[in-house]
Amino acid sequence: MSRAKVLLVDDEIEYVNALAERLRIRNYNVSIATNSNDAISSVINNAPEVVILDLRLPGLDGIEILKIIKKINPKIQVILLTGHGSTEKIEEGIKDGAFEYVLKPIDIEELIIKIDKARKMLYRNNLD
Amino acid sequence: MSFNILNFYKRIIYYFTFDLYRNLKYKIILANFLLSLVPLFIVITISYFWFINILKQDFYSHVTWQLKNTKQSIEYFISEKFSSLRFISSVYSYEQLKDQKFLSKIFYTLKKESPDIVDLGIIDSEGIQRAYVGPYKLIGKDYSNQDWFNEIIVRSNYLSDVFLGFRKIPHFAITIKKEIPETQSFWIIRATINMDTLLKFISEINLSEKDDAFIINEDGFLQTPSRFNGNILQKVSFQIINPKDSVSIREVRRADGNWVKCGCVSIKNSQWILFTQIYSSPYTVIQRIYTNELLIISFVSVLIGMFIMFGIAQNIVNHVKKADEERENAIAQSEHASKLASIGRLAAGVAHEINNPLAIINEKAGLMKDLLEISNTDMSKNKEKFISLINTIFDSVNRCRTITHRLLGFARRMEVSIEFIDINEAIKEVIGFLEKEFMFKNIRLKLELDETLPLIETDKGQIQQVLLNLLNNAIDAVERDGSVEITTKMKGEDFIHISVKDTGHGIPKEKLKHIFEPFYTTKGKGTGLGLSISYGIIQRLGGKILVESELGKGSIFTIELPIKYRDE
Repeated sequence: MSRAKVLLVDDEIEYVNALAERLRIRNYNVSIATNSNDAISSVINNAPEVVILDLRLPGLDGIEILKIIKKINPKIQVILLTGHGSTEKIEEGIKDGAFEYVLKPIDIEELIIKIDKARKMLYRNNLD
Repeated sequence: MSFNILNFYKRIIYYFTFDLYRNLKYKIILANFLLSLVPLFIVITISYFWFINILKQDFYSHVTWQLKNTKQSIEYFISEKFSSLRFISSVYSYEQLKDQKFLSKIFYTLKKESPDIVDLGIIDSEGIQRAYVGPYKLIGKDYSNQDWFNEIIVRSNYLSDVFLGFRKIPHFAITIKKEIPETQSFWIIRATINMDTLLKFISEINLSEKDDAFIINEDGFLQTPSRFNGNILQKVSFQIINPKDSVSIREVRRADGNWVKCGCVSIKNSQWILFTQIYSSPYTVIQRIYTNELLIISFVSVLIGMFIMFGIAQNIVNHVKKADEERENAIAQSEHASKLASIGRLAAGVAHEINNPLAIINEKAGLMKDLLEISNTDMSKNKEKFISLINTIFDSVNRCRTITHRLLGFARRMEVSIEFIDINEAIKEVIGFLEKEFMFKNIRLKLELDETLPLIETDKGQIQQVLLNLLNNAIDAVERDGSVEITTKMKGEDFIHISVKDTGHGIPKEKLKHIFEPFYTTKGKGTGLGLSISYGIIQRLGGKILVESELGKGSIFTIELPIKYRDE
């Protein structure tokens, strides 16, 4: 079974590399972005199915990026990645269309489950 | 010797002023004391003099009235006697009156009307008594050498001084000269009057035991008996000041040693002066009441008042002291709470910061595990990769260490200690805490730090606490996408200025005066104590915080600090 096509967005390069490699070991198709510009280009060019998006990016607000992604392709499922348990931000994100969230440091199994669910959701929506 | 006295005074002053609460207590007591005593004293003094004055006036007018009355009675009495003699001398001639029998008839008729007439005599111009009716054998008596004869030659009527007459009873004589124009001669009619009526008049003056009333002549010889000034015809010991036709009263020391109020008035048409001496006057009683009884009452009530006042003052001061202590406690507690809150905010920031390195460690370690377990990678064949992963873990740990040490360093500086610090370095340390927050909120941080500033003698921990407060406020004001500028520079020779300028929403003018008040906040969250505590800290370090702000444009908070540490 092919695994989801994932875009990882986080400003810490070491983090994002390690996590990407861990996902690739598990057969996910992972691309990386470390800033909002690259993230948006990647969404346009690579058409990921699931975007894992860190809310604390320097410069642009994570929520703003979420909205842009959803505007580009509303079908893309976004999983919010956040270090702090700021429930308002997460709630706001969910309201703006985010599918799920995970807290850093993550449990890889939990992330995988959520990525698969997100992909299913995407295809279920496609069928509608 | 003088050194000891100076020391003594110093100790007294020290005792009253050093302890502020004792100082306050005695100030309250003194103020109350003066406030109650001074008006009381003024009122007592004024009413004393006023009262005495009134009574004195009253007394004087009474004495004056009495003397005037008596004077008028005496004068009337005398003039009445003179009138009788003048009448007789006008109606009857010298020839008629020279007749002894005729004179007798006149005498006894006169005596019926005025019983106090003792004798009546007719004297010729040589001074020889030609006719005489009376108890003595005085017909033919030669009066030419007598003073009164010489007086009467000059005057037309004469009132003699008192002399001891028949049976040593005091009498006086009235004499009238009748001119005979045809012969250029004159004759004299003379009557002796006894003192009974006069004495009666005098006795009608209301007197108590220690008082006296009498008549003296111009030379000071008593004409009537006196209680305290000597016997009749003796000279009085006190000096006679010119008597007037109106009553005069003055204070005199009597022969028996007592001070008396002496009233005198001259009797018209005579050499006589009427005197009265009053020992006790009502207003001296007042004096005694005032000085004795009132003094005791005042003293006792003042004593009681002082006693109560001490109690009240002590009570007040105790309350003030307690309130001060409670306030200090409350302030210390709220400052502590605010410190904790600021550490809390720091800690939250630190936790966020540490989370990233932790997440990295998590993924690197996780990746190593995945490589070994899932990919079955041979570690010995992929040594470099694993070592690289492990090194990244170490790097992350180092990052965490920096972060935790920064927090620990800040927490350690919670105790006050004055030392020489580089203010720019202190600022950069604080910024270290907030770097990430600036980054994530996209707020531009500008530093304009004067590197030529001297070292400042102050408390690094407290200054950093204030800077943290001001910077947090700046970040909150800007929210996102603005800028914060920190400037340091010299102000004059003795001060430096640290300014934190933000492009946030600014503070409206009417709120500006409140921002340093405790518990005042425009944010929905927070204790409202940050600025008030910062203000207090800077004030205690000998400086001040200034603010300029414009609604919609932003604010500039400036800390002014002395280079040399000075207590507030």
